[in-house]
Amino acid sequence: MIPLDELLGFSGVLFAIGIFGVLTRRNFILLLVSIEIIMNAAILNFIAFAAYSPSGSPSGQSIAVILIGLAATEIAVGLAIVLALNRIIGSVNVAQAMELKL
Amino acid sequence: MVALPYLLPYLPELTLLVATFVVFLLDVAGEHRRTTLGGVSAFFLIVAFVEVLADLGTWPFHALSTLPASWNGTAQGPILFTSLGIVFQGIFLAIAALVAIASLSEAEDPDGTPTFYALLLLASLGMLLVAISGDLILLLLAVEVTGISTYVLVGYTRKDRRALEAAMKFYIIGAFSTTISFFGASLVFGAYGTTSLLAFSQVPSDPSLALVGFAMIAVGLGFKVTLVPFHMWAVDVYDGAPAVVSAYLSAGSKKMGLFALFAIFVGAVRVFDTAGNGYALAIMMGGLAIATMTVGNVLALQQQTMKRMLAYSSISQAGYMLIGLAVNTTPSLSAATLQMVANVLMKGGAFVAVAAAAAIGVGPLITDWKGLGHRRPILSASFAIMLLSMAGIPLTLGFVGKFYLFFSAILAGGLFAILAIVGLLNSAISVFYYARILKHIYMPEETGSPDAHGGTRSLASSTLGSSTSPTDPQPSVAISEFRAMGYARMGVIVACAVLLIALGIYPTPIVTALNAAAHQFVALH
Repeated sequence: MIPLDELLGFSGVLFAIGIFGVLTRRNFILLLVSIEIIMNAAILNFIAFAAYSPSGSPSGQSIAVILIGLAATEIAVGLAIVLALNRIIGSVNVAQAMELKL
Repeated sequence: MVALPYLLPYLPELTLLVATFVVFLLDVAGEHRRTTLGGVSAFFLIVAFVEVLADLGTWPFHALSTLPASWNGTAQGPILFTSLGIVFQGIFLAIAALVAIASLSEAEDPDGTPTFYALLLLASLGMLLVAISGDLILLLLAVEVTGISTYVLVGYTRKDRRALEAAMKFYIIGAFSTTISFFGASLVFGAYGTTSLLAFSQVPSDPSLALVGFAMIAVGLGFKVTLVPFHMWAVDVYDGAPAVVSAYLSAGSKKMGLFALFAIFVGAVRVFDTAGNGYALAIMMGGLAIATMTVGNVLALQQQTMKRMLAYSSISQAGYMLIGLAVNTTPSLSAATLQMVANVLMKGGAFVAVAAAAAIGVGPLITDWKGLGHRRPILSASFAIMLLSMAGIPLTLGFVGKFYLFFSAILAGGLFAILAIVGLLNSAISVFYYARILKHIYMPEETGSPDAHGGTRSLASSTLGSSTSPTDPQPSVAISEFRAMGYARMGVIVACAVLLIALGIYPTPIVTALNAAAHQFVALH
């Protein structure tokens, strides 16, 4: 079995990559990908902690399945919003949607 | 097969679920009128509200309650009914009903209307679930039910570029903050081995891991509650969204985030205070409260448009309420909840008033409201009461809430008194910008066209213009004001203002009820 520390380290790296992506990317699709990477880090954490839980309770795995569903829902809504915006401004670049700054 | 009696305690939630499907079915059946869809939504929301009042044992509805007395305060799997949670359900349903009724006066939009009401009901359902969650994962999922519904709600018109931009910003921030919360939740799960909220009042096996997890959850929910430094999105979103949606976001979904913070942190803040961890969480909450109050107020001072000013003042209000969690005693939680009740009426009412003013052609700038007090006396008086309540002037509910809040911080003693002092200073600052608006509204009219944007009907119905319109006699000024801005909308605005004053003069029953609810909540967590 892979040691818990290595799993947590891996999910920590995933988290850092995701945060970096959210902060630097201006393309909406790449932003969504970065957010997904963070979500996957959280899912990995739940599974890792559940596998090493002293009680052997499978709740961590069930939470992971639920979170995968949540992530899919979120992406669907995000793509719908960016599609509607794309029809109006003709771009998926977040930096071009800045009319609101007064 | 689930036996029916097991579902009965969830009657308010089931009511909203049924209402959502009814609205969707009406849409399929080709019904797109606001009067029908809005009426159905408002009806179901009011039914759910009465059920919540019954569950709280409010006379005369207490006989209708379907919640077994033994369920209140004991965990039923992932569900935990508490009196405070049920009070919050009432708050959420009240603001949803308010928005549903006020939106009856919006322009017809065959495409968007069914979406709007269905999502409004779905978002409210998520809020109700947040209020009865006894499990961290269920709570965050319920927050996300509301979140996903409100992302779409902001951009539901689909043609308005500003609204869509607001929806996109809201979505990015919302999705990002959710994932941060879930990452924090995974660390908390690792530290405690369980996700039950009641477990957080014990010392975990790995306190530092739990602390990092709690901090991440606080950041994630901090985005939702618009705590400084996670507030940047809020102003753009409230500005770009339709005004009724802004009312719902500011008065509704923000309160949901605050209740989520209460449910997670009331036990945790106390544990980390006593377990020799140097008041880490209390200091974090207090610091966030101070930053939020101050930054919100200082930025509100410089705003030129009404909606952005209300958005910044809404941010600073969140800071006041967070004092309740930082102090973390029964009186402070009860006072923060009272402040939220006031906030539903004054923030919800104020955004609806902005929508009403826009309907008669008043521009977005604060200076556009100049002289409105003479032309639209009822709207202006109601709006003035809301502003006075936000500033915390006596005889309004906003004053009562702030008074109890600062008093509870002083009662807790020690460093918490700093929170009360900063809060008082901020209240003083806020009076400046509220007074500036009042001055504009009640300034004497300048010469020239008094109602340049208003069109002929509002000119004829205005008090100053009445001399030029012999067909419109004096007594009908109030009626024509209601007609020009929509009966439903004006009814909501006036009701909010009247309640603010009525509860501000006689707050005893509501304070007593909130104290009992907060006492049970603190004892439980």
